[in-house]
Amino acid sequence: MQRYQEEYIENLKKIRALNLRKSAVGKSFDEYCAELLRDRECAEMTIKRNMLILRQHLFPLLDNMFDADQKELEELKKFSSELLNSAIETDIGLFCQIQRSMLSYARLTKERCAMIEELYWLGIGYNSMCAKLIGLEYSVCEKYYSQMRLCFAEAAAYLKYFNELESTETRSYILRSRANMSLGGFKANVEKIRMVKRTLMIFQDPEYRKKAPDLPWDKYVYTIHRQMASSASYKKEIDLTPQDVADFMESVYVIYETRFREAKENNERTPIRPMFSYCVAEYYCGLYGFEELLTKIEQLMDSADFNDRSEDTMYGIISLPAFYCQYLEENPEYLSKRLDYIGVLNKRALSYVKSFSERELSEKLFFYLRQLSFTYIETENSISYKDFIIKLEMSFAPVIYAHSCAVGRAASVLCKIIADEEPDYFDDIGFIRDIVDVEEKKRVIADYAFECGLLHDIGKMNFMSLYTNVGRQWFEDENEMAQLHTLVGMACLEKRRSTSRCAAVALGHHRWYDGSRGYPDDYKRLECEYRQMVDVIGLMDWLDNIVYNDTRIFRGMDKTFEEARESAISLDGKRFSPMLIARLREKEVSDAINGALNSGRNEAYRNIYDMENEVGKEIR
Amino acid sequence: MEEKGYLVTEHIKANRIIYADEAACALTGIAADELLQSDPYKVTEELEVTKIPFDSTHFLWILDTVNNYRQRLTELERSNKALEDALKAAEEANCAKSSFLSNMSHDIRTPMNAIMGMTSIGLAHIDEKLRVQDCLLKIKTASAHLMSLVNDVLDMSRIDSGRMTLNEEEFSIADLIHDIVVIMRPQAMLKNQDLQFDITDIYEENLLGDPLRLRQIIVNIIGNAVKYTQENGNIKVSFSQYKKDGTQNCKADGEKVWLLFICEDNGMGMSREFLQRIFMPFERVKNSTIGKIEGTGLGMSIVKSLVDSMGGNIEVESEEGKGSKFTVRLPVSVTLQSRESLSLPDGGTVLVAENRDDGYYRIEGYLKSGGLSPVRTSGGMDSVTWLTERLYENNMPCAMLLGQSLSDMPVLELAAHVRQLAGPDFPIILVSEEDWTKVEYSASRAGVNAFVPCPLLKSRLLNTVAGLINSAGVQDGGSNETEDYSRYRILLVEDVEINQEIVTEMLSVTGINVDVANNGAEAVQKFEESSEGYYDIIFMDIQMPIMDGYEATRRIRALSRSDAAEVWIVAMTANAFVEDIRMSRNAGMNEHCSKPVDPDKLCEILKNRFEK
Repeated sequence: MQRYQEEYIENLKKIRALNLRKSAVGKSFDEYCAELLRDRECAEMTIKRNMLILRQHLFPLLDNMFDADQKELEELKKFSSELLNSAIETDIGLFCQIQRSMLSYARLTKERCAMIEELYWLGIGYNSMCAKLIGLEYSVCEKYYSQMRLCFAEAAAYLKYFNELESTETRSYILRSRANMSLGGFKANVEKIRMVKRTLMIFQDPEYRKKAPDLPWDKYVYTIHRQMASSASYKKEIDLTPQDVADFMESVYVIYETRFREAKENNERTPIRPMFSYCVAEYYCGLYGFEELLTKIEQLMDSADFNDRSEDTMYGIISLPAFYCQYLEENPEYLSKRLDYIGVLNKRALSYVKSFSERELSEKLFFYLRQLSFTYIETENSISYKDFIIKLEMSFAPVIYAHSCAVGRAASVLCKIIADEEPDYFDDIGFIRDIVDVEEKKRVIADYAFECGLLHDIGKMNFMSLYTNVGRQWFEDENEMAQLHTLVGMACLEKRRSTSRCAAVALGHHRWYDGSRGYPDDYKRLECEYRQMVDVIGLMDWLDNIVYNDTRIFRGMDKTFEEARESAISLDGKRFSPMLIARLREKEVSDAINGALNSGRNEAYRNIYDMENEVGKEIR
Repeated sequence: MEEKGYLVTEHIKANRIIYADEAACALTGIAADELLQSDPYKVTEELEVTKIPFDSTHFLWILDTVNNYRQRLTELERSNKALEDALKAAEEANCAKSSFLSNMSHDIRTPMNAIMGMTSIGLAHIDEKLRVQDCLLKIKTASAHLMSLVNDVLDMSRIDSGRMTLNEEEFSIADLIHDIVVIMRPQAMLKNQDLQFDITDIYEENLLGDPLRLRQIIVNIIGNAVKYTQENGNIKVSFSQYKKDGTQNCKADGEKVWLLFICEDNGMGMSREFLQRIFMPFERVKNSTIGKIEGTGLGMSIVKSLVDSMGGNIEVESEEGKGSKFTVRLPVSVTLQSRESLSLPDGGTVLVAENRDDGYYRIEGYLKSGGLSPVRTSGGMDSVTWLTERLYENNMPCAMLLGQSLSDMPVLELAAHVRQLAGPDFPIILVSEEDWTKVEYSASRAGVNAFVPCPLLKSRLLNTVAGLINSAGVQDGGSNETEDYSRYRILLVEDVEINQEIVTEMLSVTGINVDVANNGAEAVQKFEESSEGYYDIIFMDIQMPIMDGYEATRRIRALSRSDAAEVWIVAMTANAFVEDIRMSRNAGMNEHCSKPVDPDKLCEILKNRFEK
């Protein structure tokens, strides 16, 4: 790699380390904050340096790719592969950007092998982007899955010319592309099962093996079996034929056998994930009923070793409860007698996660947590969903938490000012309208505003790599994907009692007051009961985002509070509610908001500090 | 008819005639002096006589032939009957008008009451946003209803007074039907109704007539079907053409074809009694179960008048509780001027990516009739696999038609990928029921070249395919040609020589004239020195020595010449951060094209710029 490429990668790692949770043990709050501030400044400088590197070196190279020599292109390729580090997800956005350029270049130069390779890697990049879409409706994600599959499908189409393409490496890309066509979500699981089946038939065809004997065919076949085994859905699908079930069962058995043999040989405990697939397969086959399936899953979850940090244990403690809850959501008649147990599962998952040190956090762990947060069932005796996701946010995304807390405090201050002058200002909101006592109403409004602020950006948890780990400004497609945080937030919050009244705020806080711009289109202000609060959070979020929030640097917006205030006033009646802008024009009010944004952020770090201290004590 | 004769008789001692006129002589066939000597009863035995006494002894006899009398009597009776009927009709019409006035005053009052009432309520609760919003929405609904009432009444008034005239202009039946689909489908969707449009046997698409009134007829009938059909109901609309002589194709301008429009629903239907009055003005279905349905009761009357004035006819069949069927036949003239002979490669392959069977079979039939050879894929991945294989074998199809849906992905995602895979000249055509204005931006961005609206018409489809194939010059397995832009001029601002060469090479196939500037300052100078309107597009690199692209753009935009604000400036750079895009827009650039430059994107920019 070239020096600037190495520096960029180093900087990414540095930024990631600077953004990690920090231990508070042995530090005063002031020391803790000073460290945070120092790290934040350092991270900002590093991000700026990275952007300069890209502008001065990488972009001119992409500009002049035809002028580049072979060595430069090779180095670019190496750099690109470094950006795709599946363990820490270094920089998928830049990876895709480079791969797109390299694919264009390969198409233009008509280098078929290079084209197949770039198609494969671009597909892999898209697949990483798709992993962020958990919890969203298939219709929202379909675009991203399609982009990924089309890359793999085009590369896999060369299977027909397997003989003519002599490079073993190219043949490997073709085969792997074929296998990867079944990655990601499908409208119905049966589609995935049938696609994997077709792939398996190709991979088991001796003719292909003969043509490329050097390839690790058994490993490929095993991976495909694993794909088939992971296609277990939480509900029996009506269009699954006996043959589909048999195909699924066969793959599950292959995985089960292999993993058990490996476990036995290594003297390890029974792996949970293949066991779960095995149970589900038996359930599909009608070997036992739903009640028994639940019991078997409970046994698997209970068998997990809490001192183990392996992926399989993470699966058993975090992901499996997510599947379990999903089963129960679909079959609510089985739910009532399991509520206590679910409460235990939730607490268990959270305390397991808390026991991870900052260095042990991984994309996989976070992936499983997102799965759980989407199927979470609230129980009376357990931690509420609201507390659960706020704890996750504090642990994994302190920057988002600090921003949310700042927005919440500022919103609370503004709402208090409004409610003092007009106690019925928020009476469109049913539960506020029902409060008769004026003082009680004001208190509830202020609390509600804070709560909405805390939860409005919860959807960003799905796009952590964009909000906390990215070491540069966003590209256009990342900007587009980041906008989905509103839909994810809505999907998370609306289903649970403790958070449902904040769902509209998560959905609508980026939509303009006059509906002419912003996102998503699904938010219709005039039809929304909570619109007054959405307006408040929208304004506070915007102010904090371009004045204080760490993510302002990714958006290319960075203003002082006074500049931001002037900009907000210029958007009176368009982006922001005229009623709110009228208040913002008042110096005292804008000062109070500015103060609250700062104190809210400070409060957030105090909470994180306390939590870290507590965790530190527990770990000790 | 003969004239009546007159006699004056005296009956004192004997019956005698004391006066006879010429007509009486003629009727009796007796001369006057002889007649005065005759017995009046005898000479008038064969005539019809009416006697009118003057006094007790003198009478006026009115003579007439027997036949003439009967005829007159019959006529009188008929006339009396007609008068009675007219009186009855007048009374009925008067009654209907009274009823209309009563209904109208109710119908006008109802929304007016709502508007006034809601305005008052809104004013009284001006601080309660929810109430004010609710009032405004109700006022909006009421005023829209009031507007439709007024429009109908005005139309009826024009028809009544004979002031309704029909325009005669050229129109495309394809466009008309597509407009109707776009208007009606959302209304049916609100009631979750299955509204199907079927087009069979449309031989002549370019017609002469009054498309606005034609649309009014059709929209009115389908609108009624939607209105009077329950939620989840079915409405089937079909359009076809026939000629009275049974032939299909017209040979001369102005030749008539009959347009047959049928609208059939499974809605509430009409009673036999109402069916007889359906086309009378001011009549509405009276049914307590549909109390919410409002209207002037003029719609069908207007439809009937328009159909009559076009020389067509309308029939209705209906059964209460089961549904209705409207059949309209209208004669329309054909225009042949715009008909072009199609030039399609015989047996040329066209890939049709369509998951819906009905959609595919229609396309297949049309393509085959044009001598083309369609190949079907149902999913995006199948399509890409098939195209990749064809590309490998240097045997690409003439074009790809994207249908309404794919089994595995949105059609535009496939379009975007195929555009990259197959290059800028490969024709991609979208066949869709969507309103083009709504999908144009995303479809063009995805690389779709042309749009064919649904319901699909054969000539529209084949014309579009032919147009694209011919402009692209694509033959099966052959080489491609590109658009000819030789009348346009481009300023390419780029500091790296190899990039200048590549872009110039890419552009050369279009015939466009390319001037090159080596940096921003040179670009500003070249632009200043050129005559106004000389450059059509400026492709501007960003990072350049001496003066960067942002600054150059700002300076060009600031020049005091009429084309400085209008010339299209496209940023051409790998800088793709959101801030870069924002900065290029802020500097005054119109578009952003990333590097390495993709020829598809380049052609798309030219196409969008020059073909709009």
